[in-house]
Amino acid sequence: MQGNSTIQSSRQPQGPRENRKHISKAKMSGLYQRAVKEALVKLDPRIAVKNPVMFVVWLGTIVTFLVTLDPNLFGTVQADVNQQRLLNGIITLILFFTVVFANFAEAVAEGRGKAQADSLRSTRSDTIARKVLPDGSIHEVSSTALRRGDQVKVMAGDVIPADGEVIQGIASVDESAITGESAPVLKQPGTDIMSSVTGGTRIISDSLLLRITQDPGQGFIDRMISLVEGASRTKTPNEIALTVLLAVLTLVFLIVVATLTPIANYIAAFLETTLGATAANTFRSGVSVAILISLLVALIPTTIGGLLSAIGIAGMDRVAQFNVIATSGRAVEACGDVNTLVLDKTGTITLGNRLADQFIPVNGHSLQEMAQVCLAASVFDETPEGRSIVALANKLGVSIDLNNRSADGIEFSARTRMSGTDLDGREYRKGAVDSVKGFVRSRGGAAPPQLDAAYERVSRLGGTPLAVCEGGEIYGVIYLKDIVKPGLRERFDQLRRMGVKTIMLTGDNRITASVIAEEAGVDDYIAEATPEDKIDVIRREQSEGKLVAMTGDGTNDAPALAQANVGLAMNSGTQAAKEAANMVDLDSDPTKLIDLVTIGKQLLITRGALTTFSIANDIAKYFAIIPTIFAAAGIGALNIMGLKSAESAIVSALIYNALIIPVLIPLALKGVQFRPLTADQLLRRNIFIYGLGGIVAPFIAIKAIDLILPLS
Amino acid sequence: MKLHSLRGKKLPTYLFLALCFNLVIAPVVYAASSNELSRSQAWAISLLGLGTAGLAAYLFFVMFAPEKF
Repeated sequence: MQGNSTIQSSRQPQGPRENRKHISKAKMSGLYQRAVKEALVKLDPRIAVKNPVMFVVWLGTIVTFLVTLDPNLFGTVQADVNQQRLLNGIITLILFFTVVFANFAEAVAEGRGKAQADSLRSTRSDTIARKVLPDGSIHEVSSTALRRGDQVKVMAGDVIPADGEVIQGIASVDESAITGESAPVLKQPGTDIMSSVTGGTRIISDSLLLRITQDPGQGFIDRMISLVEGASRTKTPNEIALTVLLAVLTLVFLIVVATLTPIANYIAAFLETTLGATAANTFRSGVSVAILISLLVALIPTTIGGLLSAIGIAGMDRVAQFNVIATSGRAVEACGDVNTLVLDKTGTITLGNRLADQFIPVNGHSLQEMAQVCLAASVFDETPEGRSIVALANKLGVSIDLNNRSADGIEFSARTRMSGTDLDGREYRKGAVDSVKGFVRSRGGAAPPQLDAAYERVSRLGGTPLAVCEGGEIYGVIYLKDIVKPGLRERFDQLRRMGVKTIMLTGDNRITASVIAEEAGVDDYIAEATPEDKIDVIRREQSEGKLVAMTGDGTNDAPALAQANVGLAMNSGTQAAKEAANMVDLDSDPTKLIDLVTIGKQLLITRGALTTFSIANDIAKYFAIIPTIFAAAGIGALNIMGLKSAESAIVSALIYNALIIPVLIPLALKGVQFRPLTADQLLRRNIFIYGLGGIVAPFIAIKAIDLILPLS
Repeated sequence: MKLHSLRGKKLPTYLFLALCFNLVIAPVVYAASSNELSRSQAWAISLLGLGTAGLAAYLFFVMFAPEKF
């Protein structure tokens, strides 16, 4: 948090979000051809074993292939051997394509990430850096030879060799390689925000002296590459839970299918000795191994098993498309589970470009006198607020001559909440009203009664009041005007409906905070907040079992970013903030946290919807396969779809089972359409669409395939 | 192939051990089938049974260490 926001991001997002350029300028041509090759490579058992459900299908394919070669391998078949071989061959082919389709889904999702990584990698080529040696001489070295702490000089046209901070010079830097934004960014030393530079970006004017902050291979672009490529992808808690569920279901069905024939034959043998051969034959199972494997594959949740990793990778990809780099899938998922959003007022809820709108003199001073003091207090203030105060004072015809005068700028700090100038032994200060009052008292002065009235007047307008003084004399209040971002109230209403609470933090006074909170529609606010308040509010919410998300950019935000379940750092922020956070927004737009909640929820909903669909599919498959293969046991009446034969039923169910995977790939990659509803409403909606749909769709599809197939 | 080059390869080792273990299982299956199965079929069925048991063990492992998959 930049305190009362005297430091602004050097680059603000340009225009509506949908119109902005994103880093997804990666080449996607040839993606599907590469994915087909990759799908075949993933048939390697060492890779296949990582997906338990599809590994079972893969092993089943091998066994059905063996019984295609020799239909009598596991026992003499009753039917015509050639006919049995043909059926086994068809089953083998369908099972093989089921595995390939699942691999293809994963390969497409991975391919999109790799294409982005390649695009980023092209910006990370080895460059020649001008290393500044301790004696001041410059020695040209490869960028890979640079180490943390080294100093390098970069000039207009150079690619910045590694992540670093500016220690000397002012220059424009083109960061489009990582942000997609073509507008150059001003970099200069001495500020948290503008002194950080990223390796791979290009300096387009002047020159800078940099101190390298990362060793080779650990820079920002290196980390981005490894993330979008999926190299550092680990399973999220939800994925782990779902993997366990899928393994349990697969194991249960494996035991059921493996014991089906022995138990049936055991009962038949028992009945033969008690009730005779006729009764025994109804139980005796003549089901072949290939059909049992088909039954197993139809019963286990292959759809979600095949799409699970694609959904997770696509979730990371969607975040990256949004110009946000997540350190893990866990962070993206946590966005979907967030209960509380902690948001800064300035720049997040309001536009952030607070400008001086009016000087309100008090204590009998004239407007000109106050303007003179305001100008003196702001002459070294390079923030937009400071510059707007200088501009307003100039507009009132006031100017200042610093030639041959002793002048020192006093920087703003979150502790003093004041800034100003020491000029010829006089102390000019401006800042939070309470802080200036304290300063005036410490200099033997007193606050006039009109000060509080002016302070309240500005606060009730939702503006930020800054008191201004010279030594022990208060001159008046500056009205800094800020505007609540349009459309935020509706966004907060949506979040409330989804059960997400919003808390606004501001260094402003209580009255201003309440006016802005009311206007923006946040649920709660904390006024006159210090950086410590941010971490306190996060801990308090977490102690109530809630997941908290926040944004930050300054070094003093780093502890709170690390404490929050979702910490979104601004790319324009400090290295410390970016390292503490689990997400970095390349656009440096703090409002994006709200969109990330939506993306996280969409990821969770997509996974839940496809799991529901996959398990609901099983019902139709039971009705397709079981009544036809166990018709002898008297359950033929359950063949409610009227499928032609056991062979046709099995093949139809397996074809549906295989084809549904590629059909659902676009949905897995794009995500289920998100609607801002409560958890209960979403559950009802998804159970209706994907639960009921998952039951009905396969009935229709299997029947249609059965009608088309020439099997009798 | 030298012996040390096989040491790092677990899959061939497990397959070899399963085939050896099947020397014990297959005669039991053959004896229990009352001449309905040939010796090779008994061998294949018992190997299939071993494979199924191994698959069940693998799925148990997935349940207890899901983060590895």
